[in-house]
Amino acid sequence: MKTAGARATRRKILKAGAGSLLVPMTMMAGKAPAQVGKKPFDGVTLNVSCWSSTYPTLLAQYIPEFTEKTGIKVNYDTPGFPVYNQRADLELSTKGSGFDVLNVTFIYTSRWIGAGWLAPLDEFLKNPERTPADWDFADFLPGAVQPMRDKSGAVFGIPWIADVMLAGAGRFDLFKANGLGMPDTFDELDRAMQIVNKKDGVAGYGIENHWGWTFIPFLQGFGGNVFRNPPDDLMPMLDTPEAAQAAEFFAKLINSYGPPAAAGYTYDQVTEAQRAGRINYAPQNHVFLALLGEAGSKVTATSNFSMVPAGPKGRFPGIASHGWGIPVGAKNKAASWEFIKWALTKEMVLRLVEKHGLGSVTRQSLLSSPAYKQKMVINGVDTGQLFLDTIAFASKGYMKYRTMHVYPQVNAQINQAISRVVSGQMKAKESLAQAQTNAISDLKRAGVKL
Amino acid sequence: MRSGGRTLRRDDAFRLGLTPALVVLAAITIAPAVFLLLTSLTPLNLSLPDTAWDFSAPLGNYIDLLDDPRFSRSVWVQVKLSVATVAVQLLMGLGVALLLNADTPIRRFARTGFLIPMVLPPIVVGIVWRVMYAVDISPFHRLMDWIGLPVGSLITNPDTALTAIVIAESWEWFPFTMLMALAALQMVPAAPVEAARIDGASEWQIFRYVVFPYIQQTMLVAGIFRLIDSIKAFPLIFVLTDGGPGDVTEVTNYYAYRQAFTFSLWGYGSAIATLMVIGIFVLSWAINRLTRPADA
Repeated sequence: MKTAGARATRRKILKAGAGSLLVPMTMMAGKAPAQVGKKPFDGVTLNVSCWSSTYPTLLAQYIPEFTEKTGIKVNYDTPGFPVYNQRADLELSTKGSGFDVLNVTFIYTSRWIGAGWLAPLDEFLKNPERTPADWDFADFLPGAVQPMRDKSGAVFGIPWIADVMLAGAGRFDLFKANGLGMPDTFDELDRAMQIVNKKDGVAGYGIENHWGWTFIPFLQGFGGNVFRNPPDDLMPMLDTPEAAQAAEFFAKLINSYGPPAAAGYTYDQVTEAQRAGRINYAPQNHVFLALLGEAGSKVTATSNFSMVPAGPKGRFPGIASHGWGIPVGAKNKAASWEFIKWALTKEMVLRLVEKHGLGSVTRQSLLSSPAYKQKMVINGVDTGQLFLDTIAFASKGYMKYRTMHVYPQVNAQINQAISRVVSGQMKAKESLAQAQTNAISDLKRAGVKL
Repeated sequence: MRSGGRTLRRDDAFRLGLTPALVVLAAITIAPAVFLLLTSLTPLNLSLPDTAWDFSAPLGNYIDLLDDPRFSRSVWVQVKLSVATVAVQLLMGLGVALLLNADTPIRRFARTGFLIPMVLPPIVVGIVWRVMYAVDISPFHRLMDWIGLPVGSLITNPDTALTAIVIAESWEWFPFTMLMALAALQMVPAAPVEAARIDGASEWQIFRYVVFPYIQQTMLVAGIFRLIDSIKAFPLIFVLTDGGPGDVTEVTNYYAYRQAFTFSLWGYGSAIATLMVIGIFVLSWAINRLTRPADA
């Protein structure tokens, strides 16, 4: 008892002493004393995930700066594209709080926004305390922001990439030696491949085996489409003569001019094979083609670039945008917004362009900056201009199919159908007819009225 | 009365003692199964939240499945995969076990080595075989090239893709059948083998008529385990072929996965999963009936 009493007395004295010191300090400052070095979000941890691409990979090395600035710790994850999409789709569907910032994947925009799985960002964008005017949201390419909006115009994602499909030839010297330029039409492409394939031991052609993305420019180039009239009429259009013609041509390019096992090439395999000089020509996303001009590439001095070739019915380069968004279940949306804001400041993106040659930016001011333009010139070809020329096609509206909420179903059918054609399991007409039947039943099952 | 009362109290005590185990069983096994069944009776589509508890057409998913050619195709792919992998694993496991059925230091070391594939995480096995099947870098393909017999990609060719999965799956799991066979072989008594040898039986005759009857029940059990496990084949297909080319390696659980995780059609995916559960139960029951000793 005596000891306890003594402790109590000592504690009281210490408290009184501390209090007597604090009172005059508080009076002097006129407010409660601030903790030295305290940051606005100290103690907050964000879980951030995005599919693996150049920008999110480069951004990772700067995250300590973000933590230093805001006090926010970040668990950062960049899995491969399909893995990311499945993980994010599942997480978002639960409206859980597992992630605080996620990539809004182009093909899921309609589905994720329509289902209310993402938080609207307008309250942050319009609040000057949250977003200073010089962050300049209006600077983002309208075409890249558009898929991130709902019908009322509310914004659910801030684009970090405008993905544009271009064509690149790593060994253009082989084209030139045979009097050929970069192919501008499907016919020219076929002719050029007949001539350059296997020249100098290099396979003529390569393409990513995500057929639901890479086949569509050919499908539309021959006059076909994925849906009849999206978004009003989602009847699949996979069994048309145009689709069959496109599939046959597409499979011919892969099987006649591709390397062994060409049908199994993922985007990174195509990129590496091109950089190593094992594949010559490939329609690819421009961010991957830009790597032909980066360190480690054996073909920088022989490369050339162009827009993707046009078909009989026109040119339909693939265009997509991906953006940062906040899951509706995220617990600390203000902190999430801090991350997005930081990750897409002009300064940050410009650093990535200047230091690392980031090939895709979504701010107009950066697209026209000397630093970006200089970086985008590869072997004398202004790929930045090709990017701008291609992204202008977005206004034609032919990419609408890709943002339909049931596109994942049709995407899977196209992947399987083209796979059957390329591998010789079925003729194009037969395979696409099967895909059409399957797509219709999948869409009906998903509640689409056809 | 007294005796009856004691029995009653003893029964109560048994029930009380079993309760925790039954609660755990209900929580971890029965509740999810009931939830799966209930979900299968709805058209649950995660992007349409109203479909969550819609029991207006409880058999809708099952009726759709009857008319879904992809589902029936996936079942056929599953049958082919299961039969082939179980057969290969039993033969390989037994063969290697016969070779290792002696207690020498080299064989002890070899036994441990052969177990490695089985203890690797399935995704690592997938990556190993992804490399093995990559035409550009695979030692197998390079060797075939070198000897003048180039082989195209096995996993993008519809004629060989399923075989490629069978090879990888068998490589991963034959150590299990090998272990079972080895354990059974070591239990075979020496006397009848010696007697047969003295009577002039050949090695094949000794194996066929003396050794095999001793180990056949064990091999049967190993086969049943592998058969049930083969229905869970997923990681290798995910890593190596994604169900393709086309749908030649799309087994039933992969089809269920696509419906649930790619298309968010959880009701339909659950219906497929429910049928798989029922199928496994029926299979286990049938095998149990067929293999039960006559005097049991």
